[in-house]
Order: sequence, then C-alpha cells, then structure tokens
Amino acid sequence: MLKYIAKRLLRSLVTLAIVITIIFSLLRLMPIEGYFPNYDKLSPGQIQASLTSMGLLDPLPVQLWNFISGVFQGDLGTSLVYRVNVPITQIIAEKAPVSIELGLLSVGLSLLVGIPLGVGMALASLARQKKGVPALVKRTPLRRCMDAVGMFFATIWEKIGTIFIVVIQAVPSAVYYLFIQLYGTDLFGIPTLFNKNNYATWILPVVSLALGNIAYYAMWLRRYMTDEINKDYVQLAKAKGVSSSGIMFRHVFRNAFVPMIQYLPGSILFTVMGSIYVESLYSIPGMGGLLVNVIQRQDNTMVQALVLIYSVISIVALILGDILMSIADPRIKLGKKEEAR
Amino acid sequence: MDTKQEVILSVRDLEVKFNLRGKVLHAIRGVSLDLYKGESLAIVGESGSGKSVFVKTFMGLLDSNGYVSGGSIEYDGKNLAQYTQDKQWRNIRGGQIAMVLQDPMTSLNPLKTVGKQICEALKLHRNMPKKQMKDAAIEILRDVGIPEPEKRFSQYPHEFSGGMRQRVVIAIAVACNPKILICDEPTTALDVTIQAQILHLLKELKEKYDLTTIYITHDLGVVANVADRIAVMYAGDIVEIGTCEEVFYNPQHPYTWALLSSLPQLGVKGQELFSIKGTPPNLFYHVEGDAFAPRNPQALNIDFKERPPYFEVSPTHKARTWLLDPRAPKVEPPESIRNIRNLKPLLNPDFVKTAAGGASDE
Repeated sequence: MLKYIAKRLLRSLVTLAIVITIIFSLLRLMPIEGYFPNYDKLSPGQIQASLTSMGLLDPLPVQLWNFISGVFQGDLGTSLVYRVNVPITQIIAEKAPVSIELGLLSVGLSLLVGIPLGVGMALASLARQKKGVPALVKRTPLRRCMDAVGMFFATIWEKIGTIFIVVIQAVPSAVYYLFIQLYGTDLFGIPTLFNKNNYATWILPVVSLALGNIAYYAMWLRRYMTDEINKDYVQLAKAKGVSSSGIMFRHVFRNAFVPMIQYLPGSILFTVMGSIYVESLYSIPGMGGLLVNVIQRQDNTMVQALVLIYSVISIVALILGDILMSIADPRIKLGKKEEAR
Repeated sequence: MDTKQEVILSVRDLEVKFNLRGKVLHAIRGVSLDLYKGESLAIVGESGSGKSVFVKTFMGLLDSNGYVSGGSIEYDGKNLAQYTQDKQWRNIRGGQIAMVLQDPMTSLNPLKTVGKQICEALKLHRNMPKKQMKDAAIEILRDVGIPEPEKRFSQYPHEFSGGMRQRVVIAIAVACNPKILICDEPTTALDVTIQAQILHLLKELKEKYDLTTIYITHDLGVVANVADRIAVMYAGDIVEIGTCEEVFYNPQHPYTWALLSSLPQLGVKGQELFSIKGTPPNLFYHVEGDAFAPRNPQALNIDFKERPPYFEVSPTHKARTWLLDPRAPKVEPPESIRNIRNLKPLLNPDFVKTAAGGASDE
C-alpha cells in the first residue's frame, strides 16, 4: 500500500511536470503586452530592459527551470497586472480562506441533506413495491391508518426527491443561483452583498453551492442502495434473522457508500476551490473569479500559478479517492492492479 | 421411512401469489406437506415450478410483491402464514429455520470478514460473550471443513474459493443453531468435485447438529444421494411425493416419468437424449385440470377438465394423477425408466463422487 502510494506520487510528479511545461510554453506564445500594465506608454528600449530584468529573454529551458525551481521553493512569482508586483502566494493566501470556509460549509450541508434524502428515497421505493399486496391478517383500523400515512409519506418523499434531482440536474446552475439570489434576498431580507462578519449573508451562497452536491449525493446513494438491496447477501442476512434496520444500515448503506467514497474528495476539493458564478453573484472575495479575471487581463504569471494549483488539486483528489476506496473495499488491492491503471 | 415420526412443520393448502405489472401470478396452488423431524426431504422440479418460492414462505423471505394468500404453515404451534412483521419473523429466521443459498459467490457480504458474518449470526441467536463468540465461530469454521480457521476467520469472502465460500455460508446457517436447514440448490453453482464434498458435509452436519433438511434441486443425482423422501413439484403444486425408492423405482405421475426419462444416464449412445416437449403453463391464468396435461402425450380427457386429487399408492407414497383412478386405462411408464434399477450408480451413495449426475432442466 505505502509502496503504491509512493509510486503513485512519483508518477503524479511526472504528470505535474508535463502540465507545467505545457502551460508554461503556451503562455510564452502570448503577446508580450501581458507583462506590462502600461505597455503603450513605454519606449522599445524600456520594454527590452524590463523583459531582460524579468528574465524573459533567457532561453526557454532556462526560464522553465527558473519557474520550476521557484515553485519548489514556494515562490509562484509576482502578479504583473492584477496587483502589480504583489507575490502570488500572498494574493492566494488572502483569497483562499473565504472560499474554503464557504466550501466546507456547503459540503457539510450537502452531506447532511443529501445522504438522508438518498437513503429515504431508496427506502421509499422499497416500500412502494409492497403496495397492493393484501395482508392476510386483519389489521386494526389504527394500524391501517398508520400504514396508509406511512405509504403516503414514502410516496411524497420519493416524488419530491426525484423532482428535486431532475430539476437540479437539468436546469443550468446559473439559473437557480439567480433565482435563489432574487427570491432569497427578497423573502428573508438578506443583504445581497456578502459580508464576512454578517452570518446571514453566508446562507444564500452556501445553499446555492450545496444544491448541486445534494442532488448528486442523493441520486447516487439512492441508485447504489437500490442495487445493493437486491443482492443475494442481503437475502442471506435476512435469512440469518438480521432486523430490517440492521440490514439497511450495517449491510446495504455501508456497501452502497463505498462507490461514492471515491468521488467524495474530488467533489469536496472542487467545492472548496470556489465557484466562479456564486462568488461573483454575491461579490465574495474568494478564489472563484480569480482565474477568469487574470486570464481576461492577461496576467500571465497569475494564470500560470493558478492552473498549477488546480492541477495539483485534481491530482490529489484522484489519489485520495483511490486510497479511500481501497481502505473501504478490501477487494481492491491497489498495489497489484497498478499496472492496469 | 417411519410415518409415525413427529411432524416438525406442517403446510396445509398453501397459496402464494405475486403481483407483477398489475397482474397476479399464482405461484403456489394449494400445496400441503408434512415435514418429519430428522428427515431429509428433496423438492425437485424444473425452473419456475415454485420450489424456491414454496420454501421461502417458511421464512418470510418472499420478494416484497409476493404474499401468502391462503392456507397455513404450522410450526411449533404457530401459524407462520399469518406472520406479517419483521419482529415475528426474526426468531424463526436463522434460529429455527436457516437457509443455504444457491450461489456462494454472491451470498456473502463482500465488505465484511467471514468471521464477522458468522459472529453476526451467533450474536443474534446465541447469548454469549464476545470473546467466546470468536472461539465458537472458529469452531464452526473447523466443523465445516475450512483449514486454518483461525487465519481464515479474519479474511474477506473474496479470498475464498467457491467451494470454501459455500462452506462459509453453511457455517453461517448452522451457527444460528436451527432446527430445519433449507438448502436452495446448494451445489448448482459449484463444479462436480466440489459438489460431492459439499453434499457430504451437509450430511455430516445433519447428524452432528440434529437437523431436519430440505433440499431444493433439479439435479436428481443430488436427490438420490441425500434424500429420504422426494416431492416432485410442477407448476406450483406437488404432483408426487414418496420415499426415494418409491419415486425412483415406482413413479406414478407422468411428469415424474418425464423427469426421470430426461436423466442423461438413461440415454442410449447414438440416440437423442429425452427432453420434455412444450413449456410449463402460464401461471398468470387459471390452470384447468392437470397442469401437466398439455405436455403429456398420453393425457386423458379428464386431465384437461378436472384437477386430479391425490391417490395413495402406499402410506408414504401418493401422486396427483387420474391414471391412479380405478376407472383409468392402463398406461405403462416409458420403457427407459424401467431400466432405472439397472442404473446402480444412481442410488449408490458414492455416485456423486464419480459422475456428474443431473437431470436436464428442460
């Protein structure tokens, strides 16, 4: 296992090196205007001079090497246009915490709502199968009422869950984000603009960010649970005399959760990285809009640094997902299968 | 077979129905059966004859769209057919009646160690401290013939072979300390050499744990090897029941004849093997007369009109066919199955160890 992780990390470094090289080379193809906030006002001589001082006239391999060795010393360069001459690490350190806090809250919320929603839907669809099966034994009127009410709620739960999932998946997120902002601020009188110290303003962005994940968790959990319920080992557990709730939670839920575990780190990390749209809707000073912003303003070093960070996160998410999966499912032996991966 | 034996489970006129896409499927059509303590009963029949559904009603394990619509299942003074709640069933399941499923590759939870799955059964049915539970589980693993049980205890199902997994499934079943053990095609998914070992093991455990066993199978080779009595099921009904010798050597129902004729061991070299023509009746509709009549070339007129009652051949042997009525014409069983007596290996206890026994399913 450790050996596998070490190998996997080494190979990720190779991937990373390739990504860096590609990004780096592509950005060198950009017009040099990008390196100057006030290009038009400079004379050709001044331009040459500052290009030399930035090291941009060095041979490409040397430039690449300088960048990479900088990265390993924790130096991502300085911003050129966005905030002139401020170290990029400093900019990110200022912006990231808000996004991370928002992201963690929304992931927490989506797990809290998504899991019960999915489990409830799986149980409801199970209950629905029993509909129309007459009971041989006479039931008391109270029992009949309780059964009918139970069936009613099961049906409602499943219908609402299905409609919710379909709407969230089908409607572009920008549309419901806008709706939430419009009606949310109106109905609850919450200020539109995000303010770190006013917790009411956190509610709408967190909810907006969570909706997608809630639908996603609920949909997959429902699906995996319905799959597991029909497996033979559930029948055997039943035949052993395990109670229904014991079967649901100790066998079905646990096993259904395993395929989801692989995708959890990814969905968490990307939520934490911030959402471009939600952050710009509420003017949240987070990571979300940063990449788009610096690309538009041709801040080459910033683009380079941000793409690097995103690549690292994707790679980490994949590795974490695989490791978690192999811990949860004893059948997966990472070390042996690695050749095939 | 001593008929004065104590009846442990008594089924009367059991009816089971399934709701399927708005239609009702009549899977079990009024079956009665007495199970004697300590006996080994085999229920044979082709796929879809309702043999699995029949025994699943004893444990309340019908799929959620199935239900008992009539009749009774007496066990220990209680009528299991009236059980509706999980709570009522929990004591019966495992503790009184346990089950071995067909496919060992899928019937164990892949994410729990074998030991844990056995301990789960122990915890439910035997009061014992945790420490003792592990020892007991290891003891049971040893009983079912798993080498190095201490090491195997903490392994996962995927680390076991098919045969070994079936042993684990059997271990779970006996861990519950049941009175009745139902084996639903216990060897169908295994290869022939393993089949013999598993059957041998089941016989051993039957003695050791004082079990009454029900085998469900379509493999007459298995039946001959393990059963005291045989019940032949067709289209949701027991058409013939008797001791092993009676059903093999003196079969009365045309369906039993057809089933025995399809034994590949009876085939003559160079000739096509016998197979039953046609398909079983559609149980979505009411079945008129003898369900087997449309597939029976020698069917009588009355077979299409009225359902035959049971005719007693001997105190232990009865069959549901009009051929046993005194007014019926004499119809001889087919030539081939009269040779079954010459087929010594079939009733030889070692049979399954040497040959791949089995009647065709068709």
